[in-house]
Amino acid sequence: MTNHAHRAGRFLKNEERAAWHDKTLWMIRQKRDKMALDVPGWEELREQASQIKRHSLSKLNDYLVQFEEQAINNGAQIHWASTAGRLNEIVYRIIKENHASKVVKSKSMLTEECGLNPFLEKKGVKIIDTDLGERIIQLKQEPPSHIVMPAIHVKKEEISELFHQKLHSEKGNYDPTYLTATARLHLRQKFLEADVAITGVNFAIAENGAIVVCTNEGNADMGVHAAPIQIHCMGIEKIIPRTSDLAVFIRLLARSATGQHITTYTSHYLKPKTSGQMHIVIVDNGRSELIGKEDYRDSLKCIRCGACMNTCPVYRRSGGHSYHYVIPGPIGSILAPHSNSKKYKDLPFASSLCGSCSDVCPVKINIHGQLYRWRQDLSQKGVLSPIKKSIMKISGKILTSTKMYDWSGRIARWCIEHFPRKLIYNRLNIWGKERELPEASRESFKQWYNKNYGEGGKNGQK
Amino acid sequence: MDRNKILLNIQRNKIKPVKLPEPFYSAEKGVNKVSLFKEILLQIGGDCIEVNTTEELNFLLHNNFKNATDLRRNKLLEKFPSSYSKESLEGLKTVILEGQFGVAENGSIWVNDSNFPNRLIPFISEELVLCLDSTQIVRNMHDAYFKINNAISGFGVFISGPSKTSDIEQHLVYGAHGAKKLVVILSHENILK
Repeated sequence: MTNHAHRAGRFLKNEERAAWHDKTLWMIRQKRDKMALDVPGWEELREQASQIKRHSLSKLNDYLVQFEEQAINNGAQIHWASTAGRLNEIVYRIIKENHASKVVKSKSMLTEECGLNPFLEKKGVKIIDTDLGERIIQLKQEPPSHIVMPAIHVKKEEISELFHQKLHSEKGNYDPTYLTATARLHLRQKFLEADVAITGVNFAIAENGAIVVCTNEGNADMGVHAAPIQIHCMGIEKIIPRTSDLAVFIRLLARSATGQHITTYTSHYLKPKTSGQMHIVIVDNGRSELIGKEDYRDSLKCIRCGACMNTCPVYRRSGGHSYHYVIPGPIGSILAPHSNSKKYKDLPFASSLCGSCSDVCPVKINIHGQLYRWRQDLSQKGVLSPIKKSIMKISGKILTSTKMYDWSGRIARWCIEHFPRKLIYNRLNIWGKERELPEASRESFKQWYNKNYGEGGKNGQK
Repeated sequence: MDRNKILLNIQRNKIKPVKLPEPFYSAEKGVNKVSLFKEILLQIGGDCIEVNTTEELNFLLHNNFKNATDLRRNKLLEKFPSSYSKESLEGLKTVILEGQFGVAENGSIWVNDSNFPNRLIPFISEELVLCLDSTQIVRNMHDAYFKINNAISGFGVFISGPSKTSDIEQHLVYGAHGAKKLVVILSHENILK
């Protein structure tokens, strides 16, 4: 089994691409900063968002029931799915009962999490992802590498070749405008043919049963309004109490995600179209368990903006696929171990704990704090690798004893200076794989401090 | 069955109640809403044409949007009932709609299904023209939702600029799936009434 570090190593083999990835995501982070500075009271807005989400989670039952009641009044049909499998079954049943066969879907991390596409394909249902980035990776048969920009890891030359093969576009035409126009024509046809449109959900409003979906491309709306049947799939944590609360989240979401003031379309779906059907599937899939875990509960506040990915020095330099989980980056590294702590045990370690993720999070999730917490929990669960365990044990001993610490420092400094390169950069020194150790100084900080500032030292107290 | 299971599980993990915060109030003073709205609209790829008199408006519509489908004031609402086939809507080049109000902080305009007979119309046309009264511009989203006051109707949407994507190497392209072009006709002096 490979771990995050191995997969990141593979990503870094293509230096030019890795550098582009790093630079591009950082640029988006900077756009976000500019937006945040332009909004008076940005920090209060984040606090407000955090409190609204906390409140909603603390009264989730009441709000879910209220939402259900309102949505039914609006003419929507509500379905509840306790697991991923149940979501897939429900969606399939709706498709089958209506003798439908063609499905379009706009971006939904939830259906990605539940494996809806492969499930429906096995049943013979043709499902087309309509977000351009998602369509690219669907044709490429890859998972998304970012939750907002799913094809951020793909270069235009590859897209051009892919479109040439699958959509018969001109060979060797790398122009993004041309390629986008090709996809527009191709997907326009799919929208017009579709019997069913599936969307994810950004927010669900308890007081009036509204579903809110944000896109730049307009693909959610093209799908929903063209197909006779619309299905919205939402996690239970998407609920917020009032329409007025939406203002707070809509102001934060696009600014945090891509550095836009707002997405091109912010759509509010309340009632089915004339002679149409509107279905809402409310999915748990482990979320209600997570509510019970006090240390991690806050991760349910996440509005999936991706800001923590764009800012993360590890994500930017390792790519979304290195995480091997549907949601990559810092927030994904918290969520993944809840679904399988053994499989994803390396993810909470794929972080420098610099805290930048928590600083940019629009709903103030203490992301790096939870990553740190996971490290301790995973170690207590005993799922860490024997090497990691023994290193931790030895480090623990050394770091708790002044004598041992001084002594090991002296040895290490001597070794770095005198040992041949081969011996230092050996197989066990994973840290030194792509990195150079700094030049070792002759004395430790402690020695230097004592000499200069200690008792009797140059600048010390006499 | 699943419903009870989920609700029970949440109940079981019941957490201490957390108070809903007081509504957010942002003290943005001295904002020129109309000029901010225009500035941001242009930033996000929209066009803005300002008119001051009914004559100017009619002249503009006659000259620049001669072949447009004008769906303002129920003019052609009967022509496109909601049952109208999507294939026939696909041929729509330019559509003119009434916008209800604009939001200065993000250049968006609110429309709901009282403004169009078929929900697909604002998205499927190649070019979308929204007419907006300049007195109907609010500062920010808090004011916007206050103005909507829960009257969303069956479907409502904030539209901010033309449809766009940056999914190919972050290169910005207008006209992903929705309108390739968005024009706002901003009328002063309340002439749209």
